[in-house]
Amino acid sequence: MHTPQQDSSAPLSKQSMGAAAVEAGRREPALEAINIVKNFGSLQVLRDVSMTLYRGDITAVVGDNGAGKSTFMKVLSGEHIPDGGQLCVNNREVQLRSTQDAQSYGIETVYQDLALAPDLSVAENVFLGREIKAPGWRGQIGMLDRQLMLEESTRILTELGAKLKSYRATTQSLSGGQRQGVAIARAIKWAQHAILMDEPTAALGTRQRDMVYAAIRAAAGRNLAVLLISHDLPQVLELADRIIVMRQGTAVANLNPAEVTVRDVVDVMLGAKGA
Amino acid sequence: MNHSSSQEALSVNTPTYDDGSTWFSRLREATAFWMFLILLGLVVLFSLISPNHAFLSVNNFFTIALNASQLVLLAVGMTFLLGAREFDLSVGANVVLSSILAARTITSLAGTPDEVAMGNYPHLGPAITAGVLVAIISGTLFGLINGLLVTKLRLSSFLVTLATTAIGLGTALVMTHGANVPDIPRVLQTEFATYRVFDMIPLPVLLSLVLVLLLWFTLAQTRFGVHTLAMGSSPDASRRAGINNARHLLKLFGLMGFLCGIAALLDISRFATTNIGGHQTDNLQAVAAAVIGGTSLFGGIASVPGTLVGTLIPVVLGTGLVIMGLDSFYQLILVGLIVIAAVYIDQRNRQLSI
Repeated sequence: MHTPQQDSSAPLSKQSMGAAAVEAGRREPALEAINIVKNFGSLQVLRDVSMTLYRGDITAVVGDNGAGKSTFMKVLSGEHIPDGGQLCVNNREVQLRSTQDAQSYGIETVYQDLALAPDLSVAENVFLGREIKAPGWRGQIGMLDRQLMLEESTRILTELGAKLKSYRATTQSLSGGQRQGVAIARAIKWAQHAILMDEPTAALGTRQRDMVYAAIRAAAGRNLAVLLISHDLPQVLELADRIIVMRQGTAVANLNPAEVTVRDVVDVMLGAKGA
Repeated sequence: MNHSSSQEALSVNTPTYDDGSTWFSRLREATAFWMFLILLGLVVLFSLISPNHAFLSVNNFFTIALNASQLVLLAVGMTFLLGAREFDLSVGANVVLSSILAARTITSLAGTPDEVAMGNYPHLGPAITAGVLVAIISGTLFGLINGLLVTKLRLSSFLVTLATTAIGLGTALVMTHGANVPDIPRVLQTEFATYRVFDMIPLPVLLSLVLVLLLWFTLAQTRFGVHTLAMGSSPDASRRAGINNARHLLKLFGLMGFLCGIAALLDISRFATTNIGGHQTDNLQAVAAAVIGGTSLFGGIASVPGTLVGTLIPVVLGTGLVIMGLDSFYQLILVGLIVIAAVYIDQRNRQLSI
């Protein structure tokens, strides 16, 4: 059994999170959150949450409903502006005031609802908001290079192992796993430092889930930091390199998945066991 | 999508896509294709059964095109808005108000009231130039105001444009006391509205056709078009992809207003007067044309060529019925049935594609 570094009742401080860095050896931090605070009116949803995401690592964040996981992810993705604390990307402090800010710093998010436009094609979704213009005068009049966008989308999705009947098809005609694959492919295509994923395998069958697991590993394999929010603890133990447990708006434990069981994680989540 | 063996056989001689479908199988799935067949059928039918085949003449076809030249602009603008999951019910009011402002500008600047009443226009050139600018600017501003109300106050475009319809028409009536603006120079008719390029193509048809082609290209081939459909397909997805939905919507309403301004110019130049009592059903006709052509009321799917077909069907019906000596009121009933058929085809295709 792994001995977590922190008592479950106390918030995990920046110093104690540093232990993870030591544990991580010389791994390079891609995204750091330091003492993040977020309030909604009088309700404090995040209380001094600190966390470091390392390149090539899959970090899972688990916790009961209302623990603050999704709010924390939204702070990292620029959807929520924090009321306190610091964010550093690639060792540089940044202000994330919108999802566009996060994207411009190389942080991509795979939302639970995937944020795909169902009537657009796979290629149009992968390049949505960042379309490739045609070369020369055609680009100057706003024409898109659809062929290049199609080839590039096909290449990424093929590398991820997604088998699509057509890359010109609208995403609403794809299966749940294929849609998830498109959303992850888009994130991998544009992320430079980190990918944040919210419940990426919710409502998927076993075969589709395996495909998504492979895509998540592929993202980490590209030297990107991956943050995974999930309720599926067996999945978390199978995929993650580290597990951060959140409770009541704070990060209370940093666990090594190789050394804990699902039962241990649940106990820490519920505060039934001293972490 | 299922592809039968007959389709596979067809693909031997036709280009195939990466899912094995052919251009023909894809065409068959488009509502616009079926509506084009209906249009073609109507043209053939009226050509065969009209007295002395009067329907089948180049002159008649260009008259039909001239009659559709205003509505097609409104319908294509509506196609963009519907594609983005928005409405503009105020297009008729915008056309009326813009045409009155343009007509007033022309008659005020062309000469003294007495000269204008006598049909003398000593400052015709500058007056028409100013009138054209006023129509385009007022139409665009009307559209932008709609867009600002929708985006800044976060109100439904349906309700906003319902309200601005009343405001626009009310303003037009206050300005004119309900009387059309008289004494618009006839030269607008002779040198523009009835002028035929190569003695064949009416100039308003050519103008509308150029605009429709430009907008077709914009919707199908540019970033602006993709963002329009993305917004209609999923506003959240487009926002999270970094698209500024509000700014894009403002541009779409501005475009709709610009097209209303052009339609207003066509209106006063064709008839040499304003038409305050008209244009009350322009909004519904524009929506019907877009829907007949395969544009979805739920956003995300839009077709400019489809809208062109959807605009022509009612006009062909109306012209054909008149040539046949039948009451053109039947046109309304037939158009209603075609709208139902178009919506049915659209929904069936959507279900098949999921």
